[in-house]
Amino acid sequence: MATLQIREALRHAIDEEMARDERVFVIGEEVGHYDGAYKVTEGLLAKYGERRVVDTPIAEAGFAGVGIGAAMAGLRPIVEFMTFNFSAVAFDQILNNAAKLRQLSNGQFTLPIVFRGPNAAAHMLSSTHSQAFESFYCGFPGVKVVSVATPADAKGLLKSAIRDDNPIIFFESEVMYSVKGEVPDGEHLIPIGKAEIKRPGSGVTVVTWGQGLAIALAAAELAQAEGLSCEVIDLRTLRPLDDDAVVASVRKTNRCVLVYHGWPYGGTGAEVSDRVMRLCFDDLDAPILRVCYEDLNMPYAENLEHLVIPSPARALEAIREVAYRQH
Amino acid sequence: MATVVQLPRLSDTMEEGVIAKWHIAPGDKVKRGQLIAEIETDKATMEFESFDAGTVLELVAPEGKTLPIGAPIAVIGSPGEDAKVALRAETGGPAVAPTPPHVPVSVGAPTPAQAPPLAMRSPAVDPSPVAHPATAMRDDGRIPASPLARRLAREHDLPLSEITGSGPRGRVIKTDVELVIAGRGPAAAASAAVDTPLQLSQMRKAIARRMSQANAEIPHFYLTIAINMGRAIALRDELAQAEIKISYNDLVVMGCARALRQHPELNAYWNGETIVRRGTVAIGVAVAVDDGLVVPVVRNADAIGLREIAVAVKDLGTRARERRLAPPEMTGSTFTVSNLGMFGVEEFSAVVNPGEAAILAVGAITQDAVVEDGKLAVGHRMRVTLSCDHRVTDGASGARFLATLRGLLEHPLRLLA
Repeated sequence: MATLQIREALRHAIDEEMARDERVFVIGEEVGHYDGAYKVTEGLLAKYGERRVVDTPIAEAGFAGVGIGAAMAGLRPIVEFMTFNFSAVAFDQILNNAAKLRQLSNGQFTLPIVFRGPNAAAHMLSSTHSQAFESFYCGFPGVKVVSVATPADAKGLLKSAIRDDNPIIFFESEVMYSVKGEVPDGEHLIPIGKAEIKRPGSGVTVVTWGQGLAIALAAAELAQAEGLSCEVIDLRTLRPLDDDAVVASVRKTNRCVLVYHGWPYGGTGAEVSDRVMRLCFDDLDAPILRVCYEDLNMPYAENLEHLVIPSPARALEAIREVAYRQH
Repeated sequence: MATVVQLPRLSDTMEEGVIAKWHIAPGDKVKRGQLIAEIETDKATMEFESFDAGTVLELVAPEGKTLPIGAPIAVIGSPGEDAKVALRAETGGPAVAPTPPHVPVSVGAPTPAQAPPLAMRSPAVDPSPVAHPATAMRDDGRIPASPLARRLAREHDLPLSEITGSGPRGRVIKTDVELVIAGRGPAAAASAAVDTPLQLSQMRKAIARRMSQANAEIPHFYLTIAINMGRAIALRDELAQAEIKISYNDLVVMGCARALRQHPELNAYWNGETIVRRGTVAIGVAVAVDDGLVVPVVRNADAIGLREIAVAVKDLGTRARERRLAPPEMTGSTFTVSNLGMFGVEEFSAVVNPGEAAILAVGAITQDAVVEDGKLAVGHRMRVTLSCDHRVTDGASGARFLATLRGLLEHPLRLLA
């Protein structure tokens, strides 16, 4: 098993799929000659040439549209957004074309396309470059939404995403590209729609994804020191949601805390909370709590940013509260 | 979220208190354990130290005013929080959109669309060492409990009202139910040596109300007589051999019904102004059930036979214990029989039910040394005590009724006449 950074795991996935299927190509800003803003696509231009690693102008609506057209014509594009913040410019293409053309054409067109890039707050990028887009892209049918937090998941899920015939929104994280982890050798595919227990436990279910995973695992460690066992579930796919994994855990623990990068109003956290409430109502011993951003535009100042982004300490507070531990 | 400070119970007998002196003012910062007020109780003036830390948002209770235990006296929270919101939440008022969380950021932009509260910050668990009542019933009578606790209680047939909630604001949670299931709930409460007021069932409330009324309004007198049950026992045994099952109580019910026909002055009640004679004889039979007693009624008991009485009493008793009686089946009795003989009680006196003139308290049949025809013998005695409403009847009338009843039970064939 190789130890890889997430950026390397993603690169391996793209490389393997490009080698496996010549219809797969990469398009985006600085993906070629600059080797990618975060070096995910490093070396791919040299290996596959300009026809399959396409540098674009700064024009997200345009190259997202080019990708969608290419997918309709039978190719399998990987559209890189330098960050998902810029996908806002291409939102109409994704919402109205990528997500809907398969149905509008009565299945004459499939849209095997991956939109990938970093999502959510990184570090001191201020409000316009710290958006968390789960709530937007999970908020309509016609796309699948993936969010990865480990190198193994990054590789296995990106390969599955590239092979999927539906538009996939694939979230990564700027602050996690260097995170290292073991990745299984050989063909490594992880099915879309399956959550994973990242830390087994019995006292409190902590549901998380993306950047939330590190916070949740740190909080679980703190809780363990107090004798409180947490089961940390990484959703990995946000749409469709793996209800079964969450429900099985909450039935066992009777408590649920959500830890994630994102805002509290509506969205993916609220969706999970709603499902747990409905599917596990008679198993809940405490209200479901959510640890996420404060309901504020992300501040630029570092000290204030720390107050808005969830911390292990804040997650621990919620874990104690649902377990009725007083401090 | 701000915490509403309530008037604490500072002595066992304290029911209300007065803030003698406040040691804090709105805007003050308060630490846990800080002296915040002097409170005058029924016994003494005591110092009250804060269970909470924060800023005093409001002093709700003025000095000198008498307040019940639990009354809100102050609100402690973060600067800028609205004390009214906390007070409304505490008193179960209409849900109010909470103020946005106070965040120490001075943003030029307007506050973003306000999110619903996430309850991310703990509503401070009441750290009061004062015992919670058995349940933290809200004004609307609903007991706060987690869905899981409700399900567990339902599955184990445990009323939530009998489970002490240890969660925030007295919420009953899983561990509370599990303690009771494990049989350690009440024991735990006892070991903590706390008095726990219970939530009353409607039946308990009705019993308390009616018996208080009866004891306050009805001038009781009591007459006790011993009845030789030898022949009644022989009759019952004979019927049992014929596979006709009757109880001694059935004989008593029948005897009372027949005796009332002869003594209608006891088949009556005081309506506040005068005596009302009843047109029919309906014997109420007290039946012990969980948490109280009910009195189903055998109607026209003076006109039906022993077997019909036995069947009726058995059916009513069974359904009473299963709580399946309809209200009309428990109203309209003109006389009541209460029997504690099965518990070994030899003699007791009962409280007259309002709406009746008398009640017969029936003791156990005991083997006694008796003198019969100048010789000592072993006899079977049953002591009965008639409690009477002195407004309706007098000692001699009650005595004559008892004599008739004794004659019927000592010579049970007369019941056929």
